Parts: sequence; C-alpha cells; structure tokens
Amino acid sequence: MVMTGPLFLQGAFSYETSLLIALIIGFFFGFVLERAGFGDSRNLTSIFYFRDMRVLRVMFSALSTAMIGLIFLSWVGLFDYSILLEYSLLETYLWPQVVGGILFGLGFVVGGYCPGTAVVGFVSGKLDSIVFLLGMIVGIWIFAAGFPLWGAFYMSSDLGRITLWQVFGTSKETMAAIILVMALVAFVLARLGEKWRPYDK
Amino acid sequence: MKEPDYAKGFWNPYVAGIALGLVLLATFYLMGTGLGASGAIARTAAVIAHNAAPQAVENHAYFKEFYKPGAKNPFVNWMVVEVVGVFIGGLVAVITARRFRPGVGRGPHAGVFMRLALAFLGGIVGGIGTRFAMGCTSGQALSGGATMALGSWVFMMIVFATAFTAAYFVRREWS
Repeated sequence: MVMTGPLFLQGAFSYETSLLIALIIGFFFGFVLERAGFGDSRNLTSIFYFRDMRVLRVMFSALSTAMIGLIFLSWVGLFDYSILLEYSLLETYLWPQVVGGILFGLGFVVGGYCPGTAVVGFVSGKLDSIVFLLGMIVGIWIFAAGFPLWGAFYMSSDLGRITLWQVFGTSKETMAAIILVMALVAFVLARLGEKWRPYDK
Repeated sequence: MKEPDYAKGFWNPYVAGIALGLVLLATFYLMGTGLGASGAIARTAAVIAHNAAPQAVENHAYFKEFYKPGAKNPFVNWMVVEVVGVFIGGLVAVITARRFRPGVGRGPHAGVFMRLALAFLGGIVGGIGTRFAMGCTSGQALSGGATMALGSWVFMMIVFATAFTAAYFVRREWS
C-alpha cells in the first residue's frame, strides 16, 4: 500500500527515522549537484556572463519537475497539498527577502558559490569554496551581532504562507502551467544568450 | 568556442535538473518540507560562537532560537544531517568521476589572492543575505519555488537580477 504524503507531517515515522532520511536525501542531493557540475565556481558563475547557462537549465528543470510532480501526486491522491499549505509552505517576509535577495545575489557572483554548492566545491578540493564557507560563518556572526539593529525589520512584512496562485487569483494548476511556459522560454533565451556572449567580444 | 576542461564530463543539465527535481519531490513527499543548506551553516556559526561564549549565545536575541531550554544539540537537526549527506554524496560523486582537482576556481586572468579575498567577501555578504531571506538557493529558490511560495519567487528573481547586474563589476574575477 502506498501512503498519502507528506508522511512525516502526518506522523508516519519517528524523528530518528527522519534524520536517517535526511542523510539519504542529502546524499542524493550532493551527488546530483556534483554531477551537474556545481562543484566549481566557474561553472556556477558562467551564467552571469552568458558563457554557459547550465545553472538556469538545472534549476528551472528541477523546480518544474518537483512542482509538476507534487501536483500530479495530489491528483492521484498520493499527496495532500492542503497540509503543505497549512503547515510547511515557506512563509513570506516580503522586504527582508528582497534585501536578502540583493545581498545573496551579490554574494553569489562575487563569492562564486551558494551554500549547498560550496559544500560540493569543498569535497571537490576547491580552496575558494572553503574560504567562501568561512566567509559565510563570519557573515552570520555579523548578522547576529547587528540583530538588535535589524531584528524588527527581519520579522517585518509577514504575509504568512502565501502562494503565487493566491496572489494572482488563479488555480495552482494554471500557475504551474504559466511557470512551465516561462521555463521553456528561459531555456530558449539561454541558448540565444550563449551565442551572444557579450563579455567575450 | 571550445568547452573548457572544468565544464567537461558532467551530466546533461536537463537530466541533472530532472534528477534534482525528483530528489526534491521525494523530500516533499516524505517530509512535507524541501531541501536546504544555509540553515546548517547558521547552526555551525552558532555552535562555534557557543564554544567561545556559551552564556552570551544562549541569551542572544538571534542565536537563542538554536538553544531553546531543553532542546537537543543544535546539530541534532534535519537540515544539518541532510548537509552531512551532501558532503558524503558529493564526495562519492567526485571520487567515482575521478574529479578531485585541488585548486582555486577563477577566471584565466584573475589572481589567486584576489579570487580568495573575493570568495571570503562574497561569503560574508551572501551569509548575511541568507539570514534576511531565511534560506538560500536550495531552501528558498528551489524548494519554495517548486511550491510556488510568493517570498521564494521574489527572492529568486531579485537574486538573479542582482547577480546579472553585479557581474559586470566583477568581470575581471571571472574573465
């Protein structure tokens, strides 16, 4: 018998079991990131110079696969989407996430990694990824040290668990179809971008 | 133009993306939440600080979240264990592909010292960013993106808009 997910939120297994699952999931996550070429900062930043758009291709195909998969599982009764919406969808804190996005975008192109890929860079022997990870730890200390200053902002503009389809007043299926079309357009544009290569003229 | 060595030998990006998407889908089916990474690094930062000044960290306005009274060690946490898995899975992938290549990833005309200084600076700025955004590429962009969370999409679009713009100013680092 196949049970309806999400399993853990419905008490299907213990916390200890969830940690074992974390290890297995993490294993495959790390394995695939390496096989995608994400252990080298050059492969991660090439997208921003239109040399190699693999980051866009991997991210949007991964996002689309999981998005469609969840909707498909809920159609056939194997996933209860309402549990996700009520208990585990990431909450939106609009302005902190805008500021966080600006800082993170700067950190990505200047530092050459994001946190998960830096771990894969580390095991690939890349010294720059280790330095990036050390920088992240220092950055988190700075964030904590300044928390009295920006703690209130950090919790501001709390819109709760809200989705794009609720904002645009449509169904999740329609929203997913729109995102899928956007992804396909992005894949075409990625090819054109690689022919353009404005930084290599 | 010829494909550089560091870009050779990987999976087709669409195949890798679908594989990554299936890992993410399995995570949602099993756990109800997605993947993550930066949370584990935040906990590492808290634990290091805790070793130096336990009282101050346990009472700290931000870090006390990881040291609630009666709670387990901050490392006994789903995302920390998942990131341990990322280390192991990444290492197995590197070894089986014979791709352990020590070095510093940088543009052909960038110096090692400049690149390492910028990696450190980028780590600091990006690390602060993950705290304001409450996540990174895996937690927010990928996992929140797949469930169509509003804040995750705002974050993802701002990240890419900022990085494409800022890329111009650090082009020497990567060219």
